[in-house]
Amino acid sequence: MMNILRSIGRYVIGIFLGLGNAIFFLLEILGNIVKGKIRVQEVLKQIFEQGVQSLVIVALTSFASGAVLAMQGHVMLERFGAKEYVAHLVALSLVRELSPVFTSFIFSGKAGAKIAAELGSMSVNNQIVATRTLGVDPVEFLVVPRFVACFLVLPLLVVFSELLGIMGGYCVSVFEAGIPGSFYVTQTLRVINYVDFFSGLIKTFFFAFLIGWICCYQGFFTQGGSLGVGKYTTKAVAYSYIFVVLSNVFLTKVILALWQ
Amino acid sequence: MIEIIHLFKKLEDQMVLTDVNLKIALGEILVVLGGSGAGKSVLLQHLIGLMKPDRGSIMIDSKDITRLKERELLQMRKNIGFLFQEGALYDFMNVFENIAFPLQEHTTMNESGIRAKVKEALKIVGLEGADEKFPSELSGGMKKRAALARAIILDSKILFCDEPTSGLDPILSKDITDLIQNISRQLKCTTIITSHDMKNALRIADRVAIVFKGAILATGTQKDILSSQNAYVREFLN
Ligand SMILES: Nc1ncnc2c1ncn2[C@@H]1O[C@H](COP(=O)(O)OP(=O)(O)OP(=O)(O)O)[C@@H](O)[C@H]1O
Ligand SMILES: [Mg+2]
Repeated sequence: MMNILRSIGRYVIGIFLGLGNAIFFLLEILGNIVKGKIRVQEVLKQIFEQGVQSLVIVALTSFASGAVLAMQGHVMLERFGAKEYVAHLVALSLVRELSPVFTSFIFSGKAGAKIAAELGSMSVNNQIVATRTLGVDPVEFLVVPRFVACFLVLPLLVVFSELLGIMGGYCVSVFEAGIPGSFYVTQTLRVINYVDFFSGLIKTFFFAFLIGWICCYQGFFTQGGSLGVGKYTTKAVAYSYIFVVLSNVFLTKVILALWQ
Repeated sequence: MIEIIHLFKKLEDQMVLTDVNLKIALGEILVVLGGSGAGKSVLLQHLIGLMKPDRGSIMIDSKDITRLKERELLQMRKNIGFLFQEGALYDFMNVFENIAFPLQEHTTMNESGIRAKVKEALKIVGLEGADEKFPSELSGGMKKRAALARAIILDSKILFCDEPTSGLDPILSKDITDLIQNISRQLKCTTIITSHDMKNALRIADRVAIVFKGAILATGTQKDILSSQNAYVREFLN
């Protein structure tokens, strides 16, 4: 009995120590950013790598989701005799919920995994410690550019995803359901207002922050050789998913309460 | 000059360093010899401020580096070259970029100045023409040469090498040790090398320190060590 209690105790303490370290690490990153220690060239390189990596799969997923939404939307809305509202359904679902969340999932699986694996292999090969022996702060040199790039790339990908999703919905509606194209476009433009767009975008920034933090942290503190790199990278992606899903519930609640 | 005074360190309930005392004179080459797990790497990590001791101090140029903050340590490390066991080159940079990195970070040299300086360093370590290669394309020996070039590129007056010969065949081991000796003499570096390679150590060292279970058993010149009566030292020699 005592043993079980003791191991539970140790586990809980471990979680709090880990959380403390993670917060300390985040403060270090933010400290560098506030002081303007951002390597623009490195950031651009990261933006390019992270963006290009996720672009195709985001496009594919978004277009397909928009198309499926339109197909299902037709069936459902026709029952209520509200077929002309398909554009509303597609646009609002994408902008408020689907694009931010799905794109964040894809992004953590692609860019997040890349960040964790790269930093992780640098960590196990002593490159991070070597940076310190060269008199350079590894957080500033290796972590800040990746974190900042996350923050810039994910929102762009989300807007891109929204556009492609709407195009998917347009194609289905126009070519399958015979809704006039110009009607679909005007309906879409009319329905998305400022609140819808920005409530989705605010979430996105929050997700970008979480994914960047989690994946940089797991990568930076990777131990245990190449096995460790695998383990910590998987952990980084899994945690990113979990925290995006959970924080989405919370954020949606808050946004709806404050802003509707 | 480097002085280690009553250094103690415990890691996970194990005394890894127990009362280590050492003095290294300016320009001297000291080899720290000891078996696996003796505490050599831990000692070097203390010397460059990657670890803090539980007790004791380390004076480098009459400054106690165990009391410095990470910011101040980063400053200090610009003047110290550190060669990692596996080289620890950045694998996303080629050899040239790796060696140029400290210059870009810490000097105001222009591009052509950096180019010339890196070429010169590559020549010293015998890696001419390998500038475009990435670390993954280098053999173990070449990695160590490139890492050595990066360690000395800022004309550091102090050089620490952790097991520079581990994983190399006897001929390469001799080459690398000779190279370190040459560089150290040429640049007048105070040099500390850890090793369990007795033969090469005795060949290039001004002085040898033998560690066993975190304590210094004996220090002295080649002659002192070879004539030591200490049982462990005798065993290590054979
Ligand atoms: N970060 C650490 N945490 C806990 N124990 C450690 C740590 N680093 C080293 N040790 C322990 O300290 C002792 C000395 O390790 P160290 O790496 O200094 O040995 P070494 O003399 O360099 O050996 P080798 O020749 O194998 O490199 C070992 O018993 C090791 O298990
Ligand atoms: Mg070692």
